[in-house]
Amino acid sequence: MQVYSIPKSIKKDSKFTFCKGCDHGVAIKLIAEIIDELNLKDDTIAVSSSGCSVLLYNFLDVDCLEAPHGRACAVATGIKRAHKARKDDKFVFTYQGDGDFASIGLGESMHSALRGENITAICINNTNYGMTGGQMGPTSTMGQYTTTSPLGRNKEYHGFPIKTAEQIALCDGTQFSARVALYDIKNILRAKKIIKKAFECQKNNKGFSFVEILSSCPTNWKLSPQDSHTKIKDELTKIYPLDIFKDTTND
Amino acid sequence: MSEKNLLKGNIAIAKAALNCGCSCYFGYPITPQTDIGEYLSLEMQKRNLAYVCAESEIGAINMALGAASSGEKVMTSSSSCAVALMQETLSYASSDELPVVLVNVMRAGPGQGYIFPSQGDYNQATIGGGNGDYKIIVLSPSSVQECIDLTYKSFYLAQKYRNPTILLVDGLLGQMAEPAIINENPYPDVDNSSWRLDGAKNRASRNIHSLEPNQTKLNQHVVKLYQKYQEIEKNEQVWEEYLCDDAEIILTAFGTMARSVKAVCNHFRQLGIKMGVFRPISLYPFPYNRLRELSIKAKCFIDIEMNMGQMLKDVRLGVLSNAHISFIGKPVGDWLKKEEIINAINNIIKEQYASI
Amino acid sequence: MIKNFIISGSGGQGILSIGTVLANIFMLSNKFVTYCPCYGAEMRGGSVHCEVNMSDDELLTLQNEKADFVIALNQTAFDKFISKVKEGGTIIVNSSMAKIEKTRNDIKYIFAPFTQEALKLGNIKIANSIALGVLVKLLDNLTMENVKKAYEKILKNKKELIQKNVEAYLLGYNYIQEKEYA
Repeated sequence: MQVYSIPKSIKKDSKFTFCKGCDHGVAIKLIAEIIDELNLKDDTIAVSSSGCSVLLYNFLDVDCLEAPHGRACAVATGIKRAHKARKDDKFVFTYQGDGDFASIGLGESMHSALRGENITAICINNTNYGMTGGQMGPTSTMGQYTTTSPLGRNKEYHGFPIKTAEQIALCDGTQFSARVALYDIKNILRAKKIIKKAFECQKNNKGFSFVEILSSCPTNWKLSPQDSHTKIKDELTKIYPLDIFKDTTND
Repeated sequence: MSEKNLLKGNIAIAKAALNCGCSCYFGYPITPQTDIGEYLSLEMQKRNLAYVCAESEIGAINMALGAASSGEKVMTSSSSCAVALMQETLSYASSDELPVVLVNVMRAGPGQGYIFPSQGDYNQATIGGGNGDYKIIVLSPSSVQECIDLTYKSFYLAQKYRNPTILLVDGLLGQMAEPAIINENPYPDVDNSSWRLDGAKNRASRNIHSLEPNQTKLNQHVVKLYQKYQEIEKNEQVWEEYLCDDAEIILTAFGTMARSVKAVCNHFRQLGIKMGVFRPISLYPFPYNRLRELSIKAKCFIDIEMNMGQMLKDVRLGVLSNAHISFIGKPVGDWLKKEEIINAINNIIKEQYASI
Repeated sequence: MIKNFIISGSGGQGILSIGTVLANIFMLSNKFVTYCPCYGAEMRGGSVHCEVNMSDDELLTLQNEKADFVIALNQTAFDKFISKVKEGGTIIVNSSMAKIEKTRNDIKYIFAPFTQEALKLGNIKIANSIALGVLVKLLDNLTMENVKKAYEKILKNKKELIQKNVEAYLLGYNYIQEKEYA
């Protein structure tokens, strides 16, 4: 009896190249499983971005276009609209980090949500710029030590972080906005259910759907994989609560 | 639609784009090109095509990048200081080999400048402000009819070479109306089924990206791009010659400026001076070869532009040391008048070329 | 033969409309023609003018220093463009909205109360067409057929306005006697 198999939408003989204990691998695998379950593989165009999330196309076995840093939602808008113009609707989602989605790309991201663009955006929030070595990002928490906040994030000096999923939920065009985490099995299963819901939101032509994934970054946090996940559970979920902030998909 | 109509340059471009099958337009308002987006907003909606009033020019060009990956014909339009915002994505589109068509209806710079006419974006278009080794095809019309013909050509070359293409239009021409015919698009559609992203159905998945962590592969990629650019340079140099065959003095100018320059040439011809006009239509690839041939016979070249001498360096590269080269220019504002140019040429002839 | 025209006034006076009609008349008469609109910074009520250039041969010079004919439909336009009339050229002025004043003796002046005449016809908005009629009278080789066609082209979405404008145009066309102008 086979109890486990690699999702069909994961490229054969691909090996995750992410750091030990990083949640990117788990997130991509969940997405692949959902693509399989919703039978979207033939119709999906993924948009990757800059940062660790750019590597998506190395693992996911669907058509994929890389966007310039921060512009994934604009690129996805173009893809979605172009296929609509040729009357051949495609499933389009972005896979971005928090720096990409909520800092450099906040304008593109938020306007896609405001337009109610029928795409799905997945944002990996690991509270720092991971690929460049752990600098302070838009989601770095108060007091967090990073290579550009060596004395800890400070509200007078650095200002406040963004609660992305809550902000995106405020946009009229957003139909679904939620935050999930991947620190234990229960949460991974919850995350899968919620990402699936976001994908279905697009599949049913509802409008913009968004999932923020609280994710570990053991290398830059300088913690073990286990301690990283404990940090998410004990600290980050207090600041970034796990919730569904908007869901009109049943309306 | 073969009737002759009084058409504004901007509207002519928009109509031509629709007529050759452009199905996606993304834009953000900026004078003096806004008519393009205004016109297309209704026409594309009526036809259920893709039109987005983007949140910024950065949004617009990136939507165009995404849409181009579908193989559809895609256009965005903007002007000078806002085209500056698009440079990053033009570099991506070049590396990704995505056929984005960008119309730049020029205003005066630097910075915000103003809506005065100017040809200050020659460098921005032909050299570009994006990073890395890349080239963009640049075409420059001098009449409303040519706005139409070169819009068709922009879409065709973009698709044929999988390369971004810029239609570089003088603000004066964008706003000016003259009789023109929306003729049929003479170019064939290019098959893009081998590369477009339309879902990995019954084929391996494709990905289009510019990131390449493997040094050897990135080298190969850029070399491959340059082989393509060599093809473009071999095949696509386009120019207009006016009375150049026996010319001893050749005036060079691009876009609308070349029209006044032709009038100047007529003036000197009537005085018995052997003068001609050379107008590059493709600014990249610049028609160096023909210019070099002409430089062997001609004694001097005078480059005339509505900027401080941006095409001048390309004229120099074409002419080399075969002939004298002078420059007449003005950065912004009312187009150089025929009389102003004549006076300036007379001075140059007096000072530099007394022997002619 | 090359002729340059400036039509000027304020927003709402239909300056660009008669500029386009004039350009279309030339186009229909198989001339080369260019038409350039120029707006002030304000969208409404600000100064507006347009330039029309006509030639028998390919049109080469686009922005010209001076014009053979200027139409000025208000005082601001009159003051602004009087210096742009070529020596020997003509300025056509709306005397309903500008003072009759001749500061140059190297050009011809035509003053006529276009606004009042338009009101007599029952529509202040067709003052522009009366002025156009006056102008076309001074030009050679333009047929009434092409004038009508030009109006039909421009007003194809407002057909009810064609007749009124042509009527105004004809009033202008017959307004000035040849000898009075000379």
